[in-house]
Amino acid sequence: MESLNANLLHPRQRVGENIQRWREADGGEALRLAAQDPAAVLTAVQDADLRGLGGSGFPVWRKWQAVANEAPRPDKYLVCNGNEDEPGTFKDRLLLEETPHQVIEGALLAALATGINRVVFYVNPDLTRSLAALQAALAQWQGSDMLQQAGDVLGRPITMALVPGSGHYIGGEETAALEWIEGKFPFPRGKPPYPAQFGIYGCPTLINNIETLANIPAIVRRGADWFRNLGLGQATGSKLYSLSGDVLHPGVYELPMGTTLHDLVFTHGGGLLSGKPLKAVFTGGPSNTLLAPEDLDVGLDFDSLRERGASLGTGAMIVVSEGTGIVRQVAEYMRFFAHSSCGQCVSCKTGTATLSRLIDRIDTGRGTAADLATIENLCRMLPGSGRCHLVNGVAQLVESSFRHFRHEYQQALK
Amino acid sequence: MKRGLSLQDALAAYRPDAELAPPPKQIDPDALLNAYHPDHLRDGMATLAVGPNAGAQCPRELADLLQAEAYIDEVDLAGAEVTDTDVLVIGGGGAGCAAALAAAEHGAHVLLATKLRLGDSNTVMAEGGLQAAIEPDDSVQQHLQDTLRAGHHAGDPALVAALVGDGPEVIRWLIRQGMQFDQTASGDLHTRRAGGISAPRIVHCRDYTGLEMMRVLREAVIQHRGIEVWSQAPAVELLSNESGRKCVGAVLGSLDGQKLRIVRARSVILATGGIGRLHLHGFPTSNHLGATGDGLVLAYRIGARLCELDSFQYHPTGLVNPPYLSGKLVTEGIRAAGALLLNAEGRRFIDELQPRDVVSAAIIRECREGRGIHPDTGGVGVWLDTARLERSQPGLIEQQFPKLLARSRIAGIDPRRNPVLVYPTLHYQNGGAVIDANGATTVAGLYAAGEVAGGIHGRNRIMGNALLEIISFGRRAGFAAALAGHDRGPKKITLEHVNQARRALTLAGMPLTRHAPQMLPAYTAPGKEIWKA
Amino acid sequence: MTEDAGSESVVDLLINGVQVRAEPHMTIVEAAWAGGVPRVTGVGCLEGVCGSCRILLRRGPAVSVALACETFAEHGIEVLFLPAPAAARHQYELTDFKDGWDIQARFQEIFPEAARCRHCHGCVQSCPKGIAVEEGIALAAAGRFREAGEAFFECVMCELCDSACPEQIAPAHVGLFSRRITAFFHLRPPNLIHRLEELRQEPFSASDKKETP
Repeated sequence: MESLNANLLHPRQRVGENIQRWREADGGEALRLAAQDPAAVLTAVQDADLRGLGGSGFPVWRKWQAVANEAPRPDKYLVCNGNEDEPGTFKDRLLLEETPHQVIEGALLAALATGINRVVFYVNPDLTRSLAALQAALAQWQGSDMLQQAGDVLGRPITMALVPGSGHYIGGEETAALEWIEGKFPFPRGKPPYPAQFGIYGCPTLINNIETLANIPAIVRRGADWFRNLGLGQATGSKLYSLSGDVLHPGVYELPMGTTLHDLVFTHGGGLLSGKPLKAVFTGGPSNTLLAPEDLDVGLDFDSLRERGASLGTGAMIVVSEGTGIVRQVAEYMRFFAHSSCGQCVSCKTGTATLSRLIDRIDTGRGTAADLATIENLCRMLPGSGRCHLVNGVAQLVESSFRHFRHEYQQALK
Repeated sequence: MKRGLSLQDALAAYRPDAELAPPPKQIDPDALLNAYHPDHLRDGMATLAVGPNAGAQCPRELADLLQAEAYIDEVDLAGAEVTDTDVLVIGGGGAGCAAALAAAEHGAHVLLATKLRLGDSNTVMAEGGLQAAIEPDDSVQQHLQDTLRAGHHAGDPALVAALVGDGPEVIRWLIRQGMQFDQTASGDLHTRRAGGISAPRIVHCRDYTGLEMMRVLREAVIQHRGIEVWSQAPAVELLSNESGRKCVGAVLGSLDGQKLRIVRARSVILATGGIGRLHLHGFPTSNHLGATGDGLVLAYRIGARLCELDSFQYHPTGLVNPPYLSGKLVTEGIRAAGALLLNAEGRRFIDELQPRDVVSAAIIRECREGRGIHPDTGGVGVWLDTARLERSQPGLIEQQFPKLLARSRIAGIDPRRNPVLVYPTLHYQNGGAVIDANGATTVAGLYAAGEVAGGIHGRNRIMGNALLEIISFGRRAGFAAALAGHDRGPKKITLEHVNQARRALTLAGMPLTRHAPQMLPAYTAPGKEIWKA
Repeated sequence: MTEDAGSESVVDLLINGVQVRAEPHMTIVEAAWAGGVPRVTGVGCLEGVCGSCRILLRRGPAVSVALACETFAEHGIEVLFLPAPAAARHQYELTDFKDGWDIQARFQEIFPEAARCRHCHGCVQSCPKGIAVEEGIALAAAGRFREAGEAFFECVMCELCDSACPEQIAPAHVGLFSRRITAFFHLRPPNLIHRLEELRQEPFSASDKKETP
């Protein structure tokens, strides 16, 4: 299984905050290459077709380009988004804990490629081990030659700060993170303007996911072609899949982008518990659509899943066997999302609260046919009505569960 | 009806500063009532053929329900979930909540079942206030006399004495539940006059008295650990013992798809409110959606005697336009504050503070004789001159009548600038189930409180006695129900009274095609049944 | 109305997923009846004081909440009648308060969330009566219960603000508590008290005072 944990999670990389061992694993090499040709970093990322691995799947180079095109006002910011709070996603915390220097180097490369002088690491406050490792790692960079040299290449000093998040799920939304970093409650902002034009304190701001940034050093060091060849089919690079649910071996698996669902679950995940048949998979985390057993052959990459009407999201795959009820699962996720709605959009707050109540009613044997109709009406009415995508994800989750498992809801009615 | 002026023409002719002559003296109020009051519309009436009030006159719409079939048979109760409780209160308005709280105060386990949501009621819409004789130059005795006189001396003096005697204590009880009332600068409760009342006696909370009362009582009920509330649970039928002559509980249906449920209780209190949604004689109504006389039907079927079945109050000032507000109330308090009634000729035609039946009859006369005002959207009415009132007391409407202002604003009307079109609206059931001073009906185990009960208001209620009644008699019924003795031996629950009613209907040759209680009015496009679960 | 709106006398809208044809002057409740929409039982007073007819309303991309009896039919909108509010979560009985001096302390125990308002304005946006809900909560949290209660004077307890609050403050119930505690402790009207005292000393008896008609 040479394809498993071959890149970011290669044993050589998993050295924690030990900067010496990181250097022995070619740590810092990418920065030295970038110092000679900073523009090549963006080109490499573009050729590698690296996508946003925090859920968007958006081409990373385009986001970088937008920020690179902006002048500092007077600064430019990079937010390294480690707020990871999505149920079933636990890859960023692993990267921070086990390869923080790889992440830091990636962040500095992004800064050089886009003209950013202020780097902010934004991490979920409950991830105590990750925070500790990152803090220790950052301390080793402060006042170091590497950081000094990076600043020289940029033409001004680069600062790095660690900001623990608020603990609110909504703080993972890009513009909500900006609000928190500015010292306010993490309410998502209305867009436009976009962070690239108007971010932290009005400065151009780039937000990238931890896993996305961790990939940059290897791309610069080993080249776009190497990165492309890691993936299967049209997909490029490797992906950290967070596998959980009713499988024998839940955990984080770094595999070629485009690995099939079947391989992830059965070859690597050890198959379903007690040999029960597969029932469904919450793909990309629960605020997305479900996959059913007939989708076991799908390649887990952004494009293949979109063709299947689903989404890769963060790469979380929550596996449900025949021993688990869908209504209960959806009720649990709905409770989480209803609680997480920040409140500034009445449609989202009231909509998710109502969906949660009704699904909970059905789950506890108090639901009626009228409740089913109300749920379906809400799924149709709510999307697009909020400032961020929380309400859309919720509608997708519920609507998808209805499409595949309406009979389960029906059976639970009183 | 002779046609009067169009609304546009009447507005064009209106002058808020015109000199107004006083209204002509009303020499013979009884003649006015006989000629114009809807209670005297003979062809809308039917004679009851069965039951304790056989031979009595009552509006056709109500007679059809009182003499209708029950919804269920004994076989429908098979497998129904059974709940035991001490006191079952049917109805979640002011009387129901007061009864539940009183019963619970005495340690009874209370189940309050309401067919809509707790607080959905006529109480919440009440505006004007409650009567209590608290001013120095007023007395409880005067309150008693005003009530009996306005009711044309048809009221039961013992019940009225109980009502008026309770007045001040009821206010204190309400304040202790957390209800606010308007005060003067000296801290006294502000009191107002009203039609047929000899002294200022109405205490109120601006024109939102019912809302203030209902939200407080609802919260008190919800918070009370001894009261359980079932919503969306209409009473489908009462339950009787094997002789069919004692009430031992009720069968509750569901408006959200649940099965029938049985409740066995030591005492049952009917607090189901009024009948406005029956639209007697085709009148619009001020009542809430659920006012379909369910309690009257259930009481009659189990053999309770009713009274004053041919007497209903038409409140003089119901809104006429826009259509969605048709029949909705404008409080008498605004006439007490000085607002006048003008016909299409711009003239006063009645002393505005006469009792309601007289004022309503006068308005109907004006409209029928061609002095009414007709909006394009239908209906007819006279002016309630709120604009003149605002001119004489600027700011009064906003300060004292915020509910009128709020509703008008949404409707695109400004009562401070223009007079408001009004017409009598079916507002209140003067009679109802016969009760004693403890709220007990003529059927053992069955109590009644609030609008569904009768014998207090005679043939015409004065303002402020309804809100007083619901608390006064709600509490009396609640206490009495809680203290009612247990039956000896095992309790049999049956629908024997339904069988007896069926027998009577069949022997009287009545059709058995209509079912009652109605529960909800049917306001839908033809052919579309909306109340099925 | 949009450019391609229905004619002046007819509008088409969706209520609870049912296609309805109505007239523009109709309220949503009337439109629902006209269209035969089944199972609409969340309707009460029809004049905006009972708070039962809560709806979610979509107009273009914007979704808001309102009361159906005070909202008019418009071409192309979509309406959903919301389920009745969830059960109240904050427990208290007025008689638990022994002393007007300890109201604020007890309030913090009963409604601890009220101190954690995050100023999202969801409550203000959802109130169909235009109440400054957020301000009212701030007043109550500051112990200014009389003023807080006055802010909530027009509250019909529709509890749309409760559904909209991410901190679970239950603003409508905070407002009602504020009103109730003010009456309970502060309303001592001399005219009422005087009459109560008179009646206590000489209870009313009507038996020997018959009215002559």
